[in-house]
Amino acid sequence: MKPALKKIARASGRSPSGTSSPMKQASKKIAPISGRASFGKSFEAAAGRMWPSLIAVLLALFLCGILLALTGHNPLRAYATLLNGAFGNKNRFAETLVKTVPILILALGTSVAFRGKLWNIGGNGQYTAGAVAAVAVAVYVPLPIALRIPLSLLASLSAGILIGGGLGLLRAKLNANEVITTLMVNYIMVQLLSWLVNGPMMDPEGFGFPQTPLVPEAMKLPILLAGTRLHFGLIPALLTAAAAFVFWRTRAGFRIDLVGENPEVAAASGVKVSKNIVAAMALSAAVAAFAGWVDAFGLHGRLQENLSGDLGTIAVVVALLGGLNPVGITAASFFFSVLVVGGATMQRFEGVPYSLVGIIQGLIIVFIISRVVFDRFKEARRVRNLVR
Amino acid sequence: MNRPLVRLSGITKSFSEVPANNSVDFTLYPGSVHGLLGENGAGKTTLMNILFGLYRPDSGKIFLREKETSIHSPLDAMKAGIGMVHQHFMLVRTLTVTENIMLGVPSSKFPFLDSRRVRDDIVRLSEVYRLNVDPDAPVSGLSVGEQQRVEILTALFQGADILILDEPTAVLTPGESEDLFSILRTLRDDGKGIVLISHKLEEILSIADEVTILRSGVVTGRTTVTADTTKKELTRMMVGRDVLFDFSGKKAPTGGVVLEISGLKARDDRGLSALDGVSLDVREGEILGLAGVDGNGQKELCQVITGVRESESGTMVFDGINLVPLSPKERIRAGVRHIPEDRQRSGLVMNWDIRRNLILKNYDSPKISGPLLLKAARIREQADEMIAAYAIKTQGGEEPVRNLSGGNQQKVILAREMGENPRLLIAEHPTRGLDIGATEYVRRCLLDRKAAGAAVLMVSADLEEIFQISDRIAVMYNGRILGVVKPEEGRNRVGMLMAGITDTNEDDRKRTAGTSADAPSKSGRAAGNELNPGEPEGELR
Repeated sequence: MKPALKKIARASGRSPSGTSSPMKQASKKIAPISGRASFGKSFEAAAGRMWPSLIAVLLALFLCGILLALTGHNPLRAYATLLNGAFGNKNRFAETLVKTVPILILALGTSVAFRGKLWNIGGNGQYTAGAVAAVAVAVYVPLPIALRIPLSLLASLSAGILIGGGLGLLRAKLNANEVITTLMVNYIMVQLLSWLVNGPMMDPEGFGFPQTPLVPEAMKLPILLAGTRLHFGLIPALLTAAAAFVFWRTRAGFRIDLVGENPEVAAASGVKVSKNIVAAMALSAAVAAFAGWVDAFGLHGRLQENLSGDLGTIAVVVALLGGLNPVGITAASFFFSVLVVGGATMQRFEGVPYSLVGIIQGLIIVFIISRVVFDRFKEARRVRNLVR
Repeated sequence: MNRPLVRLSGITKSFSEVPANNSVDFTLYPGSVHGLLGENGAGKTTLMNILFGLYRPDSGKIFLREKETSIHSPLDAMKAGIGMVHQHFMLVRTLTVTENIMLGVPSSKFPFLDSRRVRDDIVRLSEVYRLNVDPDAPVSGLSVGEQQRVEILTALFQGADILILDEPTAVLTPGESEDLFSILRTLRDDGKGIVLISHKLEEILSIADEVTILRSGVVTGRTTVTADTTKKELTRMMVGRDVLFDFSGKKAPTGGVVLEISGLKARDDRGLSALDGVSLDVREGEILGLAGVDGNGQKELCQVITGVRESESGTMVFDGINLVPLSPKERIRAGVRHIPEDRQRSGLVMNWDIRRNLILKNYDSPKISGPLLLKAARIREQADEMIAAYAIKTQGGEEPVRNLSGGNQQKVILAREMGENPRLLIAEHPTRGLDIGATEYVRRCLLDRKAAGAAVLMVSADLEEIFQISDRIAVMYNGRILGVVKPEEGRNRVGMLMAGITDTNEDDRKRTAGTSADAPSKSGRAAGNELNPGEPEGELR
């Protein structure tokens, strides 16, 4: 029996750090989804692997339905309102897409680190850093607009690379747990933002509101759909997904996948593990910061307190729900925007607390993880039978 | 002979439709060592686990001393006088020998412990059977061989007269194996029945009185072992065909030096000296066997050569180039390839498919990678070619390697490491844990590489393997190469060196003393082995 256990321990993969969080386990099974080499097949394959996530979602919705019924709501009506809230008219649908933009980009960024088995949960902080850098350049740098736009993008990406690369370096050289460090940076960034908008960057003509001046109108992203808030940012968001799809089929993507799956094999294959940990973290955070840049010019137009909200957390769930692959993540981020936008409507019209959305989030995570546990049992049985 | 101790009749056991044992009959007599021989997965361990109460048979009967018995748990088994020594020891490392043995045995002074009585019993048993175990030593400080003896002692203490040993020599040095065998002989002469699970022919030939051979869960042979029993005979029953163990006649003239190592020093993971001035050379077209008991620096040596571990001092010259400053990647590109010891841990990405596992070493070569993207079509074709060329049993290139059997996993590694005609091939325990068919295949592959002009450094703890295909044998002990010998110089010499004995005179002196510990060759009595003729049979009887 012992060798069987050992085998399972191996099959389920070891992570570079010694700790084992449920999240870690969750994506262990999900990680193998890591890109196949074939282009044509991978769409098909991704769809095929989607159904366990679908089941998790359906189960979560079903359980929440029971919860709704118990609290005296009609679940079907509540869900109908939710859908109506997300799709009901042009404006609502536009809002859903507006919400999809940062969630999609952030989740794609998160997935880069996750595929390297690096648990970057600092989406909020990195998004904030990206937005701060973008607005700072837009408001304070006295350059022509045409130059200020690329400069602000550069500033955002650099902020992400600095944070991610720095934390990656701490992880690679000192084995500082990235879960802790990224989480800490979240707090730092959120507080830093709060200080900035209350102090040095506060709009002098803003009647003391904790916010910065608006970025120049010419720097704002154009509106895609007249009469709504849907902005041009949707295009770069989808392009980011496409880029991620390509990235996992390049040498660099292969290396990050390999380091995540088995650092020992990676080292034996001549792949520098430390270098790739730093690279994965830097890229992951840079993409997250890019989400901040897009929202800064597409949506907010200025800095305010608590800009990121719970986007970073949602991104983690979306990345896992999407199986860490760009196609899945695109679908999952749209689904979550529906939940978030529709959930707000549901609260307004049905009196169902918005926290229901949080419960659905939590349940989805639980089901994804239990699927992993279930798979492990199956694997354990299979291996045991093989060994005898 | 007298009344059998154990008679298993028509035992059948399936795991999810796959029969592991198919109506197996097995009889064990007192005062005999019964070899249970078969390849990996033949059902040996399953059968004994049924006897030990770990599994319930689907059908079939168990007779203990001619009385039908049903054994529901190991506890039942122990009460019935059955003891089992598992491959992996079930000892608590922080407790002493006495404490470990007391575990699971009701105390006569309940609720207090009767340590003194137990300790006395241990000392007595230890003397009777020459187990040589210190009852007060903490298990963490014992060698593997000693721990195994504690396991045996535990079984004896619980009153076992049927003793099952699952691959007991897998973890032992040749010398320790010989010690174990002499203990087993003592136990046998005392009337105990011993089942020895093994897939090593020499072992069975040297110690067993009877042998039952399993193949795919079915008994394919049952015979008493005599001086005339040959390996060939047993092999045929085990594999179902003749396996050519004769790899001789392959001695081609060797070429120039490919790898020259001198005065190499390195530390292990704990910072202790692992390589203490290793010097050796590997030539073109030869297999240099690196013999030695595990943990004498072989692993570290391989790591230093492949570049994943840094050396402290010393030189490594590979085809005239200084290897030391090169990165692992540069060494791979230069033609250094490696079959790692633990294929699941450091050789393969278990969750990945065969295709991706095959490109680990050359994913960035122009053959596999375009300017931006990896060439998916090329990777697919290459996998299909390799699967065909190396006869990898799989449903296809997209099957995860974790679904493959051990032998087929090793073939994936072989395909990857040998596919590009390596200049230097380091093979670490290349057949460990493989069945006999796969073992033969791997050895043939190594010989092929050699014939193609590669320099092969093969690390193995298995003397059989070392002697079969090596052109020269270097013996590693305590971080040093104690000697390089020709296979013709015999196993005793290598066995001595493996035990750290360089002085052949001392060797002779000890031999005349005639105790069992002096014959480290585990195949001492192997029939048809001219290297070691006429060692007295059952010398302790």
